[in-house]
Amino acid sequence: MAEATGTTGTEEWQPKIVMFCCNWCSYGGADSAGMGRFQMPPTVRVIRVMCSGRMDPVFILNAFLEGADGVIFSGCHIGDCHYVSGNYKATIKYKFLKAMVNELGLEDERLKLDWISASEGERYAQVVTEFTEQIKKVGPSPLKPEGVI
Amino acid sequence: MEIGDCYVGWATDEDIRTRGASGGLVTAMLAAALEKGLVEAVVVLKKLGEFEAVPVVTSDPEEVKAAAGSMHSVPIVLSRYLEYGTKVALPAKPCDARSTIEQAKRGQVDIDTTYIVGLNCGGTMHPAMTRKMLETVYKLDPEEIAGEEIDKGKLIFETKDGKEHAIKIDELEEEGYGRRESCQYCAVNIPTMADIACGNWGVIGDLAGKGTFVEINTEKGIAILENAIDAGAVEITPADDKGKVIRAKVDGAMMKVAAAANEKYLAPIEGSHLDYYMNALKDCIHCGACKTVCPVCACGETAKCTEFSSAADTYKMSLFHLVRFVHLMDSCIGCGQCTDVCPADIPLTHIYQRFAVPMQEEFEYKPGMDMTTPPFFGVDLIEEGH
Repeated sequence: MAEATGTTGTEEWQPKIVMFCCNWCSYGGADSAGMGRFQMPPTVRVIRVMCSGRMDPVFILNAFLEGADGVIFSGCHIGDCHYVSGNYKATIKYKFLKAMVNELGLEDERLKLDWISASEGERYAQVVTEFTEQIKKVGPSPLKPEGVI
Repeated sequence: MEIGDCYVGWATDEDIRTRGASGGLVTAMLAAALEKGLVEAVVVLKKLGEFEAVPVVTSDPEEVKAAAGSMHSVPIVLSRYLEYGTKVALPAKPCDARSTIEQAKRGQVDIDTTYIVGLNCGGTMHPAMTRKMLETVYKLDPEEIAGEEIDKGKLIFETKDGKEHAIKIDELEEEGYGRRESCQYCAVNIPTMADIACGNWGVIGDLAGKGTFVEINTEKGIAILENAIDAGAVEITPADDKGKVIRAKVDGAMMKVAAAANEKYLAPIEGSHLDYYMNALKDCIHCGACKTVCPVCACGETAKCTEFSSAADTYKMSLFHLVRFVHLMDSCIGCGQCTDVCPADIPLTHIYQRFAVPMQEEFEYKPGMDMTTPPFFGVDLIEEGH
């Protein structure tokens, strides 16, 4: 298991981050980041959804229960949504989810909503780097099941 | 008759007037609505015993009259009993009325054909707990009880031999008896959201105990009361201002008590929130009873909370509840039914309220009070012009 996740006893703990990207902007942003060879930690697992408006609390809660240390949700910038108002809807749902996660007792840092456009490869790398640093500070998620690294 | 008018009324029928509580106005009004064809069905509470009643849907005016008498029952999920659009009248505590309005928002109940006859409510008691309380605290035989009343902060039981036994509610509630927990912190006592609000608060002078105070809230409220007057079933007289003041005072006093209970039960969690919630939910057996009785859930049998979680999950917390926490944040009315039905005795209403109350306060939105849609569905979208 240690080999598979690239961690050994002496190495620093690497968080597991689930990132939901919208098909039209953020997923393109991830592509640009790769093509532009921007350096970022390999902590993020990207899941593509058609629109940030597709964000469902169940995805994020399930990610935490399955052992994610942090979750980022990203979509097109406000006003740029491919489906006109999907990201507005994401904002409202995020507000509820954030309040719920905070009341539940998970650290505020573990959940983040950010807008990344298809051309912002550098910004994508920056968001991932910063978020990874943030999660490293708060440590492994208390909701992580036993035996999951 | 106009919206906002207040009256004191009573049934003309001698039998209903004596058997019904506070002059039997509500019983007479419901029976008249059926007889005159204003509605096709009426929801009444059928007594199972002295402390227990179940809601029954009936089209027989005689059955409505037979059900006269004050009785509190649990909020019903109207949409599961009746077809959409059925003309129905139902007597409703504030939580019943609020849950019916929440169902109407979700397209489960047609609000235009539903006449909500609101009843003042100072709290309800669990039947099993009441029996236990009578045996252990009052030292009475539950079978010997003839009546029950709450007056001046005391819970009074009258036995069949005519004697009254009174104990202060505060003392009972400190020992864990008395009203249901959700009733203790509920601050909605007068059903202003119902079509017509009825109750004995504010009935003074000669009419005390013999009349019902009525406040008209909507056009439908006017229709159902005028229908009963036209049928000759009830008589009304305008309420005097003194009565209105007294009614407001009683309401104010109850709200203060509720605020104190709120501070007691919903006090901030000490220590780790996560440990608190994990510990509270660790006994959950995923039976789904809380969802089945939830009056504001309109998802049906297959929903995100049931389909994405299973009793076989080995997660540290139940995904079923996590989904429902988010889902009910804007709509939980704190009726207390989930706690009542939980076979594992988890204080669910209390937990759901912890998530819902701060969010509802932030949006200044109180579910079930009127037909405005919850903030979830797009306050921001409208502002942004989408």
